[in-house]
Amino acid sequence: MTVQEKERRLSSTTSAPPFGRRRTRSTASRRTTLLRGAAGFAALFAIAELVSRSGIVSETFLPPTSLVLLRVVELLVTPSFLVEVGATLSAWAIGLAICIVVSVTIGVLLGSSRAAYSGSRAVIEFLRPIPSVALIPLAMLVLGNDAEMKIALIVFSTSWPVLFNTIYGMHDVDPIAKLTAKSFGHGRLSTLLTVSLPSAMPFIFTGIRIAASVALIVAISAELLAGASNGLGRWMLDASATGNRPDLVFAATIIAGLLGLIINFLLQLIERRFLGWQTALRPTGGASK
Amino acid sequence: MSIQATATDLLTIEGLGHVYEGTEPFEAIGKLDFTVPEGAFVSIVGPSGCGKTTMLRCLSGLMKPTRGEVRLEGEPVTGVPRDLALVFQDYSRSLFPWRTVAGNIAYVLPRDLPKAERAARVQESLDAVGLGEAGAKYPWQLSGGMQQRVAIARALAYRPAILLMDEPFASVDAQTRAELEDLMLAVREQFGMTILFVTHDIDESVYLADRVLVLSKSPSTIVESLDVDLPRPRDQVSTRELDDFVHLRSHIARLIRDQSMKGRPAA
Ligand SMILES: Nc1ncnc2c1ncn2[C@@H]1O[C@H](COP(=O)(O)OP(=O)(O)OP(=O)(O)O)[C@@H](O)[C@H]1O
Ligand SMILES: [Mg+2]
Repeated sequence: MTVQEKERRLSSTTSAPPFGRRRTRSTASRRTTLLRGAAGFAALFAIAELVSRSGIVSETFLPPTSLVLLRVVELLVTPSFLVEVGATLSAWAIGLAICIVVSVTIGVLLGSSRAAYSGSRAVIEFLRPIPSVALIPLAMLVLGNDAEMKIALIVFSTSWPVLFNTIYGMHDVDPIAKLTAKSFGHGRLSTLLTVSLPSAMPFIFTGIRIAASVALIVAISAELLAGASNGLGRWMLDASATGNRPDLVFAATIIAGLLGLIINFLLQLIERRFLGWQTALRPTGGASK
Repeated sequence: MSIQATATDLLTIEGLGHVYEGTEPFEAIGKLDFTVPEGAFVSIVGPSGCGKTTMLRCLSGLMKPTRGEVRLEGEPVTGVPRDLALVFQDYSRSLFPWRTVAGNIAYVLPRDLPKAERAARVQESLDAVGLGEAGAKYPWQLSGGMQQRVAIARALAYRPAILLMDEPFASVDAQTRAELEDLMLAVREQFGMTILFVTHDIDESVYLADRVLVLSKSPSTIVESLDVDLPRPRDQVSTRELDDFVHLRSHIARLIRDQSMKGRPAA
């Protein structure tokens, strides 16, 4: 299940599990998938190249793929471009870090008390459907068009998946596991930290993975729409509006996509390393419980 | 070994009763009075749903009983007592999947214990249940019988004065069950523990215990308390052949059958 699918499920309902558990696949089938994916990309590039070179679509709309790929490589070694990417990524990282600290804390509090949860639900249900892009004017008004604005938007839009996954994970803790901790003399706080939190961790981490890709989307959107003072989005805006350079815009778009891929890949590595115990990631497929 | 009249009572239960509140209140435990002498192995046998788990939760301080008093070493049980450990009926849910086997056991050790001693205590209890090599594994990588051993090892590492066990072998096969029964008798010798063992298996209750308490259906009371004078060490084959064993198990089976006949319309 892709992150996007998960996110859709998350926004469609609150009471149901906010995400589906991924099925583990063997390394061999993963390699096949990878090869097929690469073949798909090669085919896409080849077609785009043909379409562009043959003149069916003007080169001003669709520059030849070979040229775009060359630009990608050039951009990746251009310091001034990398500075812009760095600006986007730092807003991304700061926003995500704030989101994790705030949402996990609130989620743990709301998730461990039914009363707090039902009390806060109305407020959450009101705030959640507001599209973060709709907050750009407000954010610009209050925070200007620098990093603070981007970070605020990232925090707002990424808080929901992390918050809901944390609450859900906290509700999903096995009561027997909590009783076990209690029977061995652990108090409420200690049980929360040593049983509830680790048990909810796979849910929380899935929320973080969703948040990580949403944060990148929001960071770049904010730069584009709000005309932020720097960042990858701002750079693309300049390349398209003032420079009229579709090859550069395409190249930057591909780089944005690559960033998303790399982030997701790294988070998956972290998940396998630290949360490999969860049922969905066990080599057996978790048939025995 | 039979229970000496002089042995002091480690656990005393007086007038214990529990009603589950709710829209339809349910009286799970009627009235229980019994004692567990120090060093004894006491079995409690009763039909499914008669309130055995409920009773153990009250004894271990996890739940406050509606009526009655529980005293451990003379002190009334109000919170969760330090000198008592409970092995849950549902062992797979009571082991933490995010901790290794060794981590699960270390979880119950005092926090200020030096590292070397910690490792030694973990190893000692794993060795006692025959899982000396499994420390680095995760519980879900083990078979059901092995998981139950880990749960027992964890309780041993806690070094309680009394161990409460809730139908611990209900979901393992007959062979494993016999092995685990003998394991319990062995660790009891090794650690000098008092054990209160809940089961619905009549043979098991007699095979293990110095005394068997037979419970009625809910609201449960004690139908009869029987002292078991079978020689120790017990043996899976020869002990079960003894006349005394056969008589006891038949007697208990009859008690339980009569219980379930009660309340039914006469044929
Ligand atoms: N939380 C609860 N609320 C209401 N009734 C309950 C609750 N927990 C248990 N009961 C009822 O109390 C009775 C005793 O339950 P308990 O789990 O103690 O039985 P048990 O003797 O351990 O059964 P088993 O041998 O199947 O494990 C049952 O009839 C059960 O339906
Ligand atoms: Mg039970």
